[in-house]
Amino acid sequence: MNHLLELDDVHTYYGESHILEGASLHVDPGETVALVGRNGVGKTTTLRTALQLTPPRSGTVTYDGEDVSGRQTHEVAQAGMGWIPEDRRMFSQLTVEENIQVAVKDAERVDTHLDRAFEAFPDLREFRNRKAGNLSGGQQQMVAIARGLVGENDLLLVDEPSEGLAPQIVEDVANALRAVATDASLLLVEQNFPLAMDLADRFYLMDHGEVVHSDTTEGVSADDEEIRRYLT
Amino acid sequence: MIPLVSLVDAVLHFLDPAVLARVLFDGLAKASIYVMIAAGLTLIFGLMGVLNFAHGSLTAIGAYLGGLVMVTFAASASGNVGRIALFFVAIVVVFALLTAFGGAMEVSLIRPLYDRPPLYQILLTFGITLVLEELLRMVLLFYDIQPSTDWLEAQGTRPEIISKTHDVFGLGVEGLEVFQILLGVAITAGVWIFLTRTRYGLYIRAGSEDGEMAQALGVNVHQAFTVVFGVGVGITGVAGALLMWDSAWAASIDLGAEVLLPAFVVVIVGGLGTFRGTVVAGVLVGFVDAFTTELFTSNIVGFSALPELFIFLILVGTLVLRPQGLFGVEEVGGH
Amino acid sequence: MAISEPTDAPDDGATDDVATDGGTATADSADVASETTTDEHYLVEYLREHVAHAFVVAFFGLYPFAHTFLTGSLVGAEMAMFLPRVQTMITVFYFGLFAMSFDFISGYTGYLSFGHSAFYGLGAYFVILVANGKVPLLGSGTPFMMLLLIAGILAVVMALVMGSVAFRLTGVYFAMITLGFAQILYVFFSNWDYLGSNPRDGIAVLGRQDGFSIGVPYVDSLNMSIGQLQGDTFTWGMDFAAITGIDALSPISHTIALGPGEVSYYMVGLVVLVCYFMLQRIIHSPFGRAMIAIRENEERARAVGYDTFRLKMGAFAISGFFGAVAGGLFTGYRTSVAPENSFYFLTAGDALLASIIGGFGTIAGPLFGRLFHEGLHEFLTKEGGGLLPYLRSHLGEGTLNTVILDGFTVSEAIEVFLNGRAGLYIGLLFVLFVLYVPNGLLGTLRGYLGGTVAGQVAAAVKRRVRGWKL
Repeated sequence: MNHLLELDDVHTYYGESHILEGASLHVDPGETVALVGRNGVGKTTTLRTALQLTPPRSGTVTYDGEDVSGRQTHEVAQAGMGWIPEDRRMFSQLTVEENIQVAVKDAERVDTHLDRAFEAFPDLREFRNRKAGNLSGGQQQMVAIARGLVGENDLLLVDEPSEGLAPQIVEDVANALRAVATDASLLLVEQNFPLAMDLADRFYLMDHGEVVHSDTTEGVSADDEEIRRYLT
Repeated sequence: MIPLVSLVDAVLHFLDPAVLARVLFDGLAKASIYVMIAAGLTLIFGLMGVLNFAHGSLTAIGAYLGGLVMVTFAASASGNVGRIALFFVAIVVVFALLTAFGGAMEVSLIRPLYDRPPLYQILLTFGITLVLEELLRMVLLFYDIQPSTDWLEAQGTRPEIISKTHDVFGLGVEGLEVFQILLGVAITAGVWIFLTRTRYGLYIRAGSEDGEMAQALGVNVHQAFTVVFGVGVGITGVAGALLMWDSAWAASIDLGAEVLLPAFVVVIVGGLGTFRGTVVAGVLVGFVDAFTTELFTSNIVGFSALPELFIFLILVGTLVLRPQGLFGVEEVGGH
Repeated sequence: MAISEPTDAPDDGATDDVATDGGTATADSADVASETTTDEHYLVEYLREHVAHAFVVAFFGLYPFAHTFLTGSLVGAEMAMFLPRVQTMITVFYFGLFAMSFDFISGYTGYLSFGHSAFYGLGAYFVILVANGKVPLLGSGTPFMMLLLIAGILAVVMALVMGSVAFRLTGVYFAMITLGFAQILYVFFSNWDYLGSNPRDGIAVLGRQDGFSIGVPYVDSLNMSIGQLQGDTFTWGMDFAAITGIDALSPISHTIALGPGEVSYYMVGLVVLVCYFMLQRIIHSPFGRAMIAIRENEERARAVGYDTFRLKMGAFAISGFFGAVAGGLFTGYRTSVAPENSFYFLTAGDALLASIIGGFGTIAGPLFGRLFHEGLHEFLTKEGGGLLPYLRSHLGEGTLNTVILDGFTVSEAIEVFLNGRAGLYIGLLFVLFVLYVPNGLLGTLRGYLGGTVAGQVAAAVKRRVRGWKL
């Protein structure tokens, strides 16, 4: 079994508070996996742990066959793991173009990657010299996805991409994620359950820092008794 | 308070074109100095949030190192061109040595403190400044250089063209001020290009805003910390080397304290960590300094410390009215 | 040294390490607690609770005698080298008080008051300006104790003005705005002609003949004059031999004679001791616990209902008060002041040094930190019988003139590396403390004992003497 990403019995703490209490999950090449659950059960922490932004105190994180636990975040990112974080985390004083440039890992081919980003998101081309802090939420989300795209990542960790966006914009974001998903695997945290099920092939249900349920997304609905218990 | 009559006198005084030109020119020269002494500090603060209290003593070390190069080789570099060329050699040497020193300082001393409250970085750099100052004093005494008075031998290496007052359209223009302005503009432009036109500069600007995000995009922020700390200290040293020629500052052990507080003021007034803000604030403080100096030297105001007083008034005023500084954004008091 | 309140639960080894229990403001009063503890005489109980204090006070109380005795003994030269002079100890007292006041705000609330020298300077200048008849309404003969009090009150007013602006900021910004205020005062006092002919070099007491006295104002017999040169002397006991002229009486003639230095030492020490107990009392009150809650997590302190702004203002005012008293003591003893040793921001830097080495966030720590600083300083200067005269007289010409390297002799090496180099070693030590001993001497000791030093010593004594009847 060669998983792209595997978390095995991971325990993560913020200071003294125990957030992940033995979480285990995996993402295979090419698939989109959703991570669902109530607020505060450790979904974002799971992504942060994978990236080693909040390294696990015990358990292992394996990426592309290598144990990356305790490695530096930039090394994990260089290995091909991208992050499209909650609240989009724009470099607000930098222009759109510069935001995307930072994410290009191959310094020799910055222009090629920029072109690729602007092809994927034509709207961004006209804002390229505008400060990212001045964009709307939807536009910023596109920049965040573009940053994931130009990093030549095999796996993108996507955190709440639809949060705070108007419904028609959410549809654009979903389409962008679908497009990105053709090249990379996605581990997606999403509050909007139908959207998550729509985008993902499989899903994990989390509660109290653990994965409590896992299944394929086919035919799953939020009315499912067991799932509803963990979402509301 | 200034009586009305002298207020009118003062206005008339500044309407004299010769006075106005002199004040503007002095202001520009002073602005160059203020920008240079604050540039290294602002780079470091911007990326790492470390307010480097050792900044002043590093400037003093730069002044002495630059002076050392000048004094040692002055005999073999005579004439205006030779001396100025030698000065550029000196600033390259100072920059290289202090950049290496700054990098080493970051790795060995500052790095262990990033996960402690910011207070500890102030404490640590404050301690470093005590040590550096005493070490410098020891070395100077060892070589029989009087540490608490200006190092005149280094000042004496100024080429004639820089020591002289030139006559330009009937106005007296000091060579040193011209030199300071040119160097100030060059260094400001250099830093500006480094920040906006190089890939490393991009990383630094991104890392200043959100270090975690930059890391997650594959930027080695820790390495950037080391490089920026080094380069910041290097620029600081170059500023010191320039001040060595200026009798108003000059190489002495006290240069550290003289530089530290104005540099803090410029950085905070501009907005901690924004280079553009630092440049604007440096120009502002430079002109206020030149203007208040003129008020005193022309006997309009009898308080000799007016420029110094105004610098701190600007600081307090900024923090009261616009705590994030002229160009600072968000998170007031966040660091 | 944060001292424990009398605790009513000695058996479970309860510690009241205020540094960790911040937030919960329990108001068990000392009286209630001690009544419920034992049936022993309250004085015995009180002494027991303060046994560590008693030791420290006894140490300082006996120090001048011990110093005289030891430096006169067989190993006098060695003792003179290590032991600070009594005069040095006086500076430890008043500057220690200033460092305590600095630590009171900086160490306990986490707001680094880098311009704390403003208060020290205010107290220092106020005393001298009144003595020189330069303050309206106050005659130059106003009792010193009154001056200390008024200086303190002025400092409270200044703290409230400064604080009302500064406490809108946090972290570096707070440190910078207080520094800005202090530097404005520094520049102003360096250049204000009204103060004297050459304000940059400072001013001295000119008008006042009788010096400054510590004691009860207006009651002459309850005052002792302090000062480097002109302080009171004090004699206790009877020199029968001298009075009667009969030498045979000398065995029963015992007097304790205190020179001006010793009298100043005790009087300044007394004021500092009283101030220490006041600060310590405040820290162990609910108010002090609220200050610590602010340091630990200001958001949470606010969330649980503390009015943090007013608390910070109160703490700053108290801290300013004692800072000014310290400044007043400084000029009362020295009778001169300069901007460089009062308003200048590095004065606050010295207080920071003392606090970090002694223990940031402890009350007595800064005093010990300062003792360490002054002690080392004296050890490494020529005056006061430090290391250098000792080495010079014991190493011998031959050794001193030995060339180490390229014409550099041992004597020159001593001159370069040791003479007056206390700053270097203190700086190195400071850096090491910040990196490896962030809690300082007293804080580390407290951590080691598992509670405040005085509290733990008291508890240990109690365990040891249980069953004794006093």
